[in-house]
Parts: sequence; C-alpha cells; structure tokens
Amino acid sequence: MAHENIKGCIILKDLLYSVKDNTWIKVDGDIVTIGMTDIAQGLAGPILHAKTKKPGTIRKKGRPIATVESGKWVGPVKSPVTGEIIEVNENLVSDAQLINRSPYKDGWVVKMKATNLGAEMSEMTTGDAAVEAYRQKIEQDGIECSHIDDSDTYD
Amino acid sequence: MMALDLRQNKHSDVSFEEKERLFDEVKADERWHHVLNGCFECGICVASCPSARFYDFSPRVITQAVSREDTDLIYTLMSDSIWDCSQCFSCDRCPRENSPGQIITIMREVAVKNGLQTAKKALEGYGRIIYKIMSTGSQVSPDMLQPDAFPDWGTHVYEIAENLEEWRKAIPPETLHTTETGWKIDKKTIIELYLIWHMTGVMDLIEGVDEGLFMILVDVMEERLEEAGYDDVTFD
Repeated sequence: MAHENIKGCIILKDLLYSVKDNTWIKVDGDIVTIGMTDIAQGLAGPILHAKTKKPGTIRKKGRPIATVESGKWVGPVKSPVTGEIIEVNENLVSDAQLINRSPYKDGWVVKMKATNLGAEMSEMTTGDAAVEAYRQKIEQDGIECSHIDDSDTYD
Repeated sequence: MMALDLRQNKHSDVSFEEKERLFDEVKADERWHHVLNGCFECGICVASCPSARFYDFSPRVITQAVSREDTDLIYTLMSDSIWDCSQCFSCDRCPRENSPGQIITIMREVAVKNGLQTAKKALEGYGRIIYKIMSTGSQVSPDMLQPDAFPDWGTHVYEIAENLEEWRKAIPPETLHTTETGWKIDKKTIIELYLIWHMTGVMDLIEGVDEGLFMILVDVMEERLEEAGYDDVTFD
C-alpha cells in the first residue's frame, strides 16, 4: 500500500485526511469509515478506553463520534463528515489498543452514512498533498510516532 | 532547570492596557483584600514552599510584584510562574497574613477565564483528571496508574497497570471494586454535580481553555441529564 513514513508516523496515500483533527476516512458510496491517524495514536500513547456514540446518532461535521482516553490524554474523535453513525467498532470495547496497533485497519472507529459528502470531501486532503501537510505538522510540532508491540507494519 | 525569565519587556507583544485589564480583574476579586497585606521580605513563605525547592519559583516574588503593582511583571508571572505553585498553602504561615498561594489562585482563575495561551498549556496535562472528575464525580482513578502517565510511581507500575482489576478486587469494600472511577458514584450525586457545573459557569471556563474536553464533557452530561429528565439543560 502506498504510504510515507515521517519520523515513524505512517500516512497512507489512498485515505482522505482531516489533518487538523487527525482523522482519516475511507469512502464507499455514501458510507464512510472513520478512524484516528497513526499520528493521533502516537500522541495519545497506549489507549485505555475508546467509547463511541451509539449507532443511530446523527452528528454534524466537527462533533465528537467517540471519546478516547489514554494514560496521559483524553479527547474527542471529531467527525470529519456529517451524517448518521450506522456501525461502531465493537472490538474497541474490550481492546481499545487496536487503535494503537492498527489505526488504519482493525482500529477503525465508526462507520457513518454521510449526507454532505461531496462538499466535505473537498475540504479534506489525500495523496501527496496529505503527506506534505503532515510533514509540515510533524516538523512544526516536533512529533515522533512510537508504536506498541504487534502494531501493523508497512514496508 | 530553566531559569525564570523576568524581563519586563518579555511580553512586549501584549499591550500594557491588556496587562492592566487582567490585573484589574485580579484586584476586583472579592478575596483580594484578604490575601494581600504588604510584605517585609522575611522569606518564611519561600522557606516553607515545596515548589521553591524544586522549581525556579518564589512565592515572595508573587507577593512583591502585586504589592508594587508591577503590571508587566505580573503578566510575566501569570504566563509562567503561577503554574509552578502546588497550591498547598504552606505559605499561609506568613506573619503578615499574606497568602501568595491564594493570590496565585485568583491569578490562575483570571488566566483561565481569559483563555491565556499559557493557561491552556499548563492545563493540557490535567485534561484527563478534569474529564474524570467532571464526568464521573470521582477524582483520580485507579486506571490512571499507567507507566507512561506515572513513571515516577516506580517500576512496579507496569505490574499494577496490567493486573489492576485483581488488585482492586482485593480491597474489601465493594464500592471500591472499580478501575475507571475511584469508587462507585451514586447517579443522583452525579446529576447534581452536572447541574452545579451548568449553573455556575464552570463549563464556560472549560470551553475557553480546551474545546475538545468541553465537547466530550457536554456529550456525556447532556446524555445523562436527558435520561434523568432534564431535557432542557444544554451547554452550547
């Protein structure tokens, strides 16, 4: 999978990113899978709890779809799109560190049925532009990503 | 240890009028005249201050600066030094009945209310504790004992964190068989706390310093308040 490794932080080129909120989306029709980026998991450190909103919840872009709590941080996962939560990653209830080990695959957070996807996708970044945006952010904020054991690897 | 930089012009990007406005807000606090009486520099406050032993921090500098109404220096202290105080109030033993600790309490409140960048930065590390207290009503919880958050707990913090539930079950009172909260919290208590924070404007303070924290607290509170029949209470 095309990716870039900047100071240990993996950025997959085929995802769309909200760089400001450190979230990614993968689009399938009007269904959007949402997760936290590798940078976000690295900043949070080992995650203890990831509590998602219930399926059926309507959320506007920018509102929280989950609360994530690590040893040293707590904060929202802000929705990059507007819509209804149709599925949540139940595996996070017993194993929140899935987000640390596999932020782009098994550690996805929720799936939403998006209602304003066209406009909201145009505000997101992908491919080389996403890599560049993250390169700037990582250098500016002095970020380095660390990973816990058994994390996904990218060669 | 970083030396405290007390240059008068350190914050020349902030206008004198703005610094004066913040100090006026400090002085307007109703506690103000009970905590400042004039300082004869005996040094008892510094000698009793634990933060002064470990940081470049002096409660006497605080009292002197506010006594002299040194507006520039007060702003510098509000942007740095006041966050080194541990708020233990050992300095209350001042023979002149000054309370540098309480002066700092007021200065911190003004810094938070005005959303000063340094207040945001200083409180970053406390986000999880504030979230825990305000969402559950319980203070520091057992699951905060994590190696990356409490390395100073000692090497056995790894073992404690891994086997936390077993450790907690070993405590006799059932109300303490919890890991996400310090003890089991009564629903009525937590609803009362939410209502108090709603009515006293505490949530507005939180919104000013940490939007993300505000967002997740509102989410938790509105949901539980609605369940308890308080549909009309909103924080936005």
